[in-house]
Amino acid sequence: MAQTIAEKLFSRNNLAGKAVQCGDFLEARIDGAMMHYHANEPLIDLAAQAGFKDGLPRVWDRDRIYVLLDHHQPTLSQKQADENALIRREVARLGIKCFHDSEPGIAHQMMADYGLMRPGEIVVGNDSHTISYGALNCGGLGITRADMLYVLLFGELWFQVPPTLKLVLNGRQPNYPIAKDIILHLAGQYGDDFAGSMSIEYSGTLVPQLSIDSRMCLSAHGVEVGAKLAMFPCDEKTREFLRTRTDLPFEPIAADAGAHYEKEIVLDVDTMPFAVAKPHQFGNVGPVAEVAGVAIQQAIIGSCANGRYEDIEIAARMLKGRKVAKGMRFLISPASQQVYLQCVKAGLIADLIEAGAQIVTPGCGVCQPKVGYLSDGEACITATTRNFKGRKGSMKADIYLAGPLTVAAAAVAGKIVDPREVFDGI
Amino acid sequence: MEFDLHSTMRGRVWKFGDSIETDAINPYYRYPTMDELKLHTMEAYRPEFPREVKAGDILVAGRNFGCGSSRPGLVLREVGIAVILAESVARLFLRNSIARAIPIFVAPGVSGIVEDGETLEVDYQAGIVRAPASGASVALRKFPSVIEQIFAAGGLPESAYARYMRECAGQTK
Repeated sequence: MAQTIAEKLFSRNNLAGKAVQCGDFLEARIDGAMMHYHANEPLIDLAAQAGFKDGLPRVWDRDRIYVLLDHHQPTLSQKQADENALIRREVARLGIKCFHDSEPGIAHQMMADYGLMRPGEIVVGNDSHTISYGALNCGGLGITRADMLYVLLFGELWFQVPPTLKLVLNGRQPNYPIAKDIILHLAGQYGDDFAGSMSIEYSGTLVPQLSIDSRMCLSAHGVEVGAKLAMFPCDEKTREFLRTRTDLPFEPIAADAGAHYEKEIVLDVDTMPFAVAKPHQFGNVGPVAEVAGVAIQQAIIGSCANGRYEDIEIAARMLKGRKVAKGMRFLISPASQQVYLQCVKAGLIADLIEAGAQIVTPGCGVCQPKVGYLSDGEACITATTRNFKGRKGSMKADIYLAGPLTVAAAAVAGKIVDPREVFDGI
Repeated sequence: MEFDLHSTMRGRVWKFGDSIETDAINPYYRYPTMDELKLHTMEAYRPEFPREVKAGDILVAGRNFGCGSSRPGLVLREVGIAVILAESVARLFLRNSIARAIPIFVAPGVSGIVEDGETLEVDYQAGIVRAPASGASVALRKFPSVIEQIFAAGGLPESAYARYMRECAGQTK
């Protein structure tokens, strides 16, 4: 029977050894597990509650568990420092080999930077944006901390095979990134759960033109539209990206002709406006014209959605020779040290600092109430993942989400504006 | 509060809208301890909720409940919510609730049969949610046995512990 990517992925890894289809429940074999540390309930406490008084007695495979300190590097409090000390002891005790300890950065970007996920694999992570691995044709599945405990012990986990949404993107890639505009536009058109518990398969004439950076933005945002998986095909760009990053063999995964799709959505990006999500939900979206003129005090580019080279490059290209608006706090946080280095070598960071931007250490901080708080009555426009009330501190602040070009334009203008009114050459 | 899929529940309803996010349910970045969280859960939508919620109350939500970050809703159980009913639930919140044996059921149409503050009755075994005031009812979606077993074990970590002990015992025989 013709299979979707999700059906093929779960059939391959089904412990029962037989093909599964949409709706089936199964115990799946896990190829890799990404773990970062969470402040409010350490895994060791969860293990103790379950009965493991001295913590987990073992892990299923010391080579397939990837621990990154991510949200907590560098530490911003005594509590974080003490928690990091605890996880160092746990990693040593359990003999986990892949541990990125003293390196700041977002776990998902570092997983890509260091080739720790490959096409056709099932890689779970205790973070919702693990879904971004679909950009590299890897079955990235967000799970919960309690699920992770089960995975660490057995390398297995229950899943239900999701139905599939075929998302067809047609059109031409302009000379600036549009991934954020695409997903915001779709959330505005079809609602913030239009892919609820589904597997998205991206296709269409735009897909071969999309950079890996853009694909990672689209896959990461799968979770903001409810998806379980957000899969891109494995093509030349995928192979080129992985060539220098992994020596391990992999088996890409593609849908069969005639596979069953629950839903199909087609978007022509050539006629799509710049999109902005208004406070306080991802699906509360309109064209930039609808919110033009809203005064902005803080602008941000960063996160696992938009902290990549192309997001920072477009800001640097547009800001070269310009200044950010007086009083504007323009925060730019590269997603990882590798991305940061690439930006430094290309001269982007110098241009941004000269324009008046602040560079923030790589990590998740700018996407949470951690780095760059807002005060009552302030407004922020941000190319990060979420705009929920209180996400940047004050419950009385407004957060707008947009692509890096629209954010850069607002940073210069001091208000939300159509980028074409501020910048030339786009 | 221990939960058993065989028990029926009856409680006062707190109604919420669509796409309630985990930042509102569990704002742990702002309030890192459970004691603080209990004073602030859901206040983004209903400031009186943490003050007025009582043990045994039922939370009724619209579609996409628990969207956003992967964070458990333990605080809702801590403030007394006995069961969560929603039009639909974001997948990670559903996984989180199942893994921690927090009763959460998808019951399409549920927000249409009850007003805020009224009473609902939930009978999982019969697969039904009833509103005594109007006599209206809707079906709830029952879980497959693999998930019912997780609830029976008290959660996935507990289920992992039981399996580990079973396997150790098997090896020493």
